[in-house]
Amino acid sequence: MMAELALEATDFDARAISPLRELGAYEALWEDPDTSFKTLSEKFAARPGAVPSDFVPPARARECAAFVQERFHAAAVNRFGVRVHGAGDYPEKLRDAAHPVELIYYQGWWDLAESRSVAVVGTRKPSPEGLARTRRLVKALVKDNFTIVSGLATGIDTAAHETAIEEGGRTIAVIGTPLSHSYPRENTELQRKIATDFLVISQVPVRRYESQDYRRNRLFFPERNITMSALTEATIIVEAGETSGTLIQARAALQQGRKLFILDSCFNNKSLSWPQKFAEGGAIRVVGYDDIREHLSSTTY
Amino acid sequence: MTSGSTFPQRLTKIDDLTRADHFYLAVEDECYFLGDYTARKGYAFSPTNPLIFNFKKKMDRRGRPEWPYKAQAIGTTAAAFRAAMNDKARETLTFVPVPPSKAKSDPLYDDRLVQMLAGIWPGQSVDVREIVIQTASTDAVHDSETRATPAALQARYTIDRRLLAPVPQIVAIVDDLLTTGAHFKAVSAMVRRVFPDTKIIGLFIARRVSEAVDVEDFDEI
Repeated sequence: MMAELALEATDFDARAISPLRELGAYEALWEDPDTSFKTLSEKFAARPGAVPSDFVPPARARECAAFVQERFHAAAVNRFGVRVHGAGDYPEKLRDAAHPVELIYYQGWWDLAESRSVAVVGTRKPSPEGLARTRRLVKALVKDNFTIVSGLATGIDTAAHETAIEEGGRTIAVIGTPLSHSYPRENTELQRKIATDFLVISQVPVRRYESQDYRRNRLFFPERNITMSALTEATIIVEAGETSGTLIQARAALQQGRKLFILDSCFNNKSLSWPQKFAEGGAIRVVGYDDIREHLSSTTY
Repeated sequence: MTSGSTFPQRLTKIDDLTRADHFYLAVEDECYFLGDYTARKGYAFSPTNPLIFNFKKKMDRRGRPEWPYKAQAIGTTAAAFRAAMNDKARETLTFVPVPPSKAKSDPLYDDRLVQMLAGIWPGQSVDVREIVIQTASTDAVHDSETRATPAALQARYTIDRRLLAPVPQIVAIVDDLLTTGAHFKAVSAMVRRVFPDTKIIGLFIARRVSEAVDVEDFDEI
């Protein structure tokens, strides 16, 4: 079944890409232990128009693609796709990230990636008030026809996805694991539901993820926050501690020219210094939902 | 902030990742497309969705305010193919459009594919041949691509024998939307009869993923 990967380089189709071959080449690039999103983006920036297969021998790409197909099959990820920078329906807005991703995996309804969307994120250990605020906020955003994007983590993320679904809205999960994994485990079913009815996106290379230990894999979580920010018009932080990974997304949002909203309750918590710091950098303090609505409706996207 | 995505300018090959969405396509079928048509009922956000919708706009909408979008979609598509293919393609390919559902004598006959192909390299010679023609009009809705089999389609097709010389180097069968692949397979079989030794490929503006809503079901996007 892999024979067609050796795409005949007839002159007219030399630039045509095979998604499976690109997937394999992307995975192969990650086999180098020094590869990071930063080194990859530099590699591609130095060769405009390049795709992963331009850097990898076909046999290695084939081998890596076969590995991923086998792993996904074992995890019952039978329908999935990839988006490759420079071909197909790759979302241009992802290029606003400091180290934009060259390839992403997805499961579900790709079309949602081009809808007007807002990220709702926050701590894994929310207060009851934080959860209630998340639900109220998501309800209002769904009513205004925004797609709710989050990271499938415990706490605020889970509440954001679940409320979007309950309210009849749309949701996208940008996950920090390969499509074949779920973190945390208890969100396996939620991930499956979002993959079936909505959209799950992952930039995490499967083979690299499976070959290194969990401490190094943890680094994929903040990376996906940067992609989540680039995918959306705005990031809203409901509740977050002083060292929360959510703050990575806050920084990315401002760097990428996205709007950053911080709920008033974060400012009122005197033990936190980050809300003030981001407000000075351009974040918007949200007292009521209208503060968000006003700023979003002025966006032509 | 970067503005919204534009229509793809590079071809993608149907491979193991995508072939299952197209019931009649087999491993040996070499097919290429530009965009993915992924609209779900009520949703249509990607640049590919409105492009295909406008491209396929029915001829009875002529004169309505939305009509100019059709010509625009034809132009955008021609430009995308121009970016995706080089001069060698112009010299080696013979483009054979999938016949429209309405016969040439029908007032609803739509030559959008021929117009688009003519617009890829304006002013330069391009080999576009309507070798396979449909003898009678069919109802696009009730005979939609999801239902017709390649055999049933072939029964309606005929060959225009005046267009057979010279023998093409490569035949590119062109259609707007790849769904089951039935039209591609039917036209391929017809072409194969007259050019048994010629390589045949498929070129599509977009492919429609399974379960995506039929473009005909949209009144407006």
